[in-house]
Amino acid sequence: MSQAAGGGDSQQGRGPDSARTRRQSFPSNGAVQRRPEGGRSAADGEDEEAEEEQAGESSAGATDGDRTDRRMLRHQYRQLIDRVQQNREDMLSSKSNSLTEALQEANKLFSGVSQAREAALDAQFLVLASNLGKEKANELHSEMTVFDSPAFAEDLLTFMGLNRLEGEENDSDDDGITGGFLPNNAWHTLGAEAERYFRRAPSYHYMLGSFNADPPVPRQRIERQKRNAGAEEKRAMPAQLKKMEESHQEATEKEVERILGLLQTYFREDPNAPISLFDFVIDPNSFARTVENIFHVSFIIRDGFARIKLDQDRLPIIEPSHEEEGRQNDQSAQVRNQAIISLSHQDWKDIVETFEITEPMIPPPAVRQQNGS
Amino acid sequence: MSQKRRSKGPGPSQGEDGAAEEDHALTQTTSQVQRNLERLSPVQVDQKVSELVQFLLVKDQKKIPIKRTDILKNVIKDYKNVYSEIINRAGRTLKQVFGLQLVEIDTKHHIYILVSNLPRLEGENLKQDDSTAKLGLLTIILSVIFMKGNSVKESAVWEMLRRLRVDPGEKHDVFGDVRKLVTEEFVRQKYLEYNRIPHTDPPEFEFQWGARAAKETSKMQILHFIAKIQSKDPKVWTTQYNEAAAEMAAVGGPDPGTSGDAAGASQGARRRNH
Amino acid sequence: MLESCRMATQMTDGHRRFLQVMMSHGIMEGSVARTLHRDCCETHKVYYAHDKLDDFINVVNIHLQPLFMQIRKGRSEDDGRIYYALVNLAETEITKMASDYTENELELFRKTMDLIIISESGFASSTNILNLADQLKTKKMKKKEAEQVLQNLVQDKWLSERDGEYTLHTRCIMEMEQYILSNYEELAKKCNICHSLAIQSQLCETCGIAMHLPCAGKYFSAQTEPHCPHCNEFWPHEIPEINRPDSQFTSSAPRERRGALPSRTRRH
Repeated sequence: MSQAAGGGDSQQGRGPDSARTRRQSFPSNGAVQRRPEGGRSAADGEDEEAEEEQAGESSAGATDGDRTDRRMLRHQYRQLIDRVQQNREDMLSSKSNSLTEALQEANKLFSGVSQAREAALDAQFLVLASNLGKEKANELHSEMTVFDSPAFAEDLLTFMGLNRLEGEENDSDDDGITGGFLPNNAWHTLGAEAERYFRRAPSYHYMLGSFNADPPVPRQRIERQKRNAGAEEKRAMPAQLKKMEESHQEATEKEVERILGLLQTYFREDPNAPISLFDFVIDPNSFARTVENIFHVSFIIRDGFARIKLDQDRLPIIEPSHEEEGRQNDQSAQVRNQAIISLSHQDWKDIVETFEITEPMIPPPAVRQQNGS
Repeated sequence: MSQKRRSKGPGPSQGEDGAAEEDHALTQTTSQVQRNLERLSPVQVDQKVSELVQFLLVKDQKKIPIKRTDILKNVIKDYKNVYSEIINRAGRTLKQVFGLQLVEIDTKHHIYILVSNLPRLEGENLKQDDSTAKLGLLTIILSVIFMKGNSVKESAVWEMLRRLRVDPGEKHDVFGDVRKLVTEEFVRQKYLEYNRIPHTDPPEFEFQWGARAAKETSKMQILHFIAKIQSKDPKVWTTQYNEAAAEMAAVGGPDPGTSGDAAGASQGARRRNH
Repeated sequence: MLESCRMATQMTDGHRRFLQVMMSHGIMEGSVARTLHRDCCETHKVYYAHDKLDDFINVVNIHLQPLFMQIRKGRSEDDGRIYYALVNLAETEITKMASDYTENELELFRKTMDLIIISESGFASSTNILNLADQLKTKKMKKKEAEQVLQNLVQDKWLSERDGEYTLHTRCIMEMEQYILSNYEELAKKCNICHSLAIQSQLCETCGIAMHLPCAGKYFSAQTEPHCPHCNEFWPHEIPEINRPDSQFTSSAPRERRGALPSRTRRH
């Protein structure tokens, strides 16, 4: 049962594409083969056209005016095709004449067609239009109400409390979008209604236990107050700033050591499996943590405690150096390459997505000190 | 399996060897598991069950499906030989205490989600926040997909949303980056499938229902939503109504949520493959 | 059905629905919880007694206990009303996997909590909080981002905001009371009347004892000239009006985002 609907749709979906495929195989100068898959841009198309134009010109001896007319005609066809494709729902709407209008327009254009290239565009349009027509007819014929998405959208807007009073002025968009303003909570209203049709599990949220309970600042202050002032010389104000600087450095060192430890542990657990550098440094929950991890790992690499290689898929893997090797390498300064890694927020997301990283291999330092409940 | 992840390319074979290795420890007969259980203290096992329930609840905060690999790594650890017992008992606790159901939406890669066993009521006072609003948006997309034959071109979705003053190219007050929400967040949550239509050049994409959508709602529910919005009888859309009714009958009764057990059957949510 | 021991501990769909709605809200005012109790029992046709909400919740709590969760009853510092909140009791490897806030957002929250607790009034100004944003150790934050985080914390009911000043939300106090008492030692004040943690309070200017506003209101209501219950000095603050508990309906109607809080007696 559902197959029928799905199948029908897939056909409509493919229709214009098969038309395009046909068109692509039309020129015989090999331009199509050279086109990289998926990378077809408008510019590509124009190039191809220019080439072909020249070929056509020399053989047919067309005049300049002819050429301009034909280019104009093709341009109009493409615009028409684009418009039909982009307003598919409107074309299908039972209340709209757009499809008929588009066909009439194509008929007008066709009267100017004299060459195969334009005829091919006309054919492409016809395939598109007839598929839409078929779909529209199908819906009308099924002796029942058609699902009309523009009407659905209108009803949704009403449900969300659209204030239609204003809107005549600016919103005269071509696809007939009605004007007016939605109230602030429009989407919440709709969402609350939608909730009833779902069995979504409510989620559990809490604050206690989501962070580490290491002592907060004021407590340290109390402790200081409580201790003897004399014994507290070291903590006197001016020295404290310097201390902070130091502790920053200390923190970095500690973190580098921790990460190296993790790397060695993972490796010891299974020495034969390479560890993907991405899996290791990427924290799927935090871009910031990822950047920090890369920062810390760079020290490990610099100091020769681990190295980065490419695996057979040319993806980077990381492995610890053998215990003694680390320092030795440092001395002999083997072939050491420097690399600068740039990682944008988008890159990070893409990697998380592609490698399906769901958990950090380097847990945030916070997690380290906890001790059960 | 060790905590380490394999270096894997984006190819289709990723994680397969890991899964196989895992399976070795995990696919044990019930009697084997029973024998293993006897060697452990019941208190320890109980604690593992509680930890797993907590873990599942925490991981459900963002509605990203939960992988077995992560469960093993973060909770089960050294208890792999009684994994099946622990996950079954966690499923039972979720059901008995929370009225939630642990559903395996992907039996090959062992991926789980939580859904509620209790139907929501009219006027039930649930908190309304931004995820409520997002659910509204999602429901519209699911509606369009279902009504248009279970798969719909990306452009048709954007066209629909533009009619509702949501432009995928603009930052929305509630949804922020709409394109990202729809093509990434909903997809990661497994509410939607978003795939390139084969042989399209330039590439075109289409949406279908994701596995979570099929578990949290149903075609019949969505049809009723549309009927409510359009003030019509759901039966006026004969084709879709028949399809929804057939799905209901196949799943077993009008109450899709209560059927099936925790680690239970996962039906292929996608009918059409390219 | 009549075996009372079974009824005492067995969970029904009524309990489960109640728990689910609690999860959704995190915190609920007493009268709302009572309505929910009734609705849940009626929907699932299970035993209902209007005055047995706490017993009903206790059944849920028995089952939540191994999971370190609890539905806790507490009072609002604003108006003394009863609230119920679903709280987490433990800090474990697993609870740290919460994904609602990033690490630096949590750091901002904790620093805000520091400011609130050290303050006398129990409030921290947004200016002071936003000044913390670029001192965060985990990762600095722009002021704009910090503003957004504060807004989220208010929406999620960990903080509440009034006229640009922030205090801990009742939900936060209910969940974090023990944590605050043990982590802030004597910086955290306890109410001289009810002996629980006091964030927003009036302090005796002589001996320094603290009182919740509603507790002070109740305590002083009968006195014409208020005196400190501890040192008997004159109580120099405006006496808060007592809110007859639960006599009026809270408008915790569907829309709760950024809802205005009930107006409070003037802070000292």
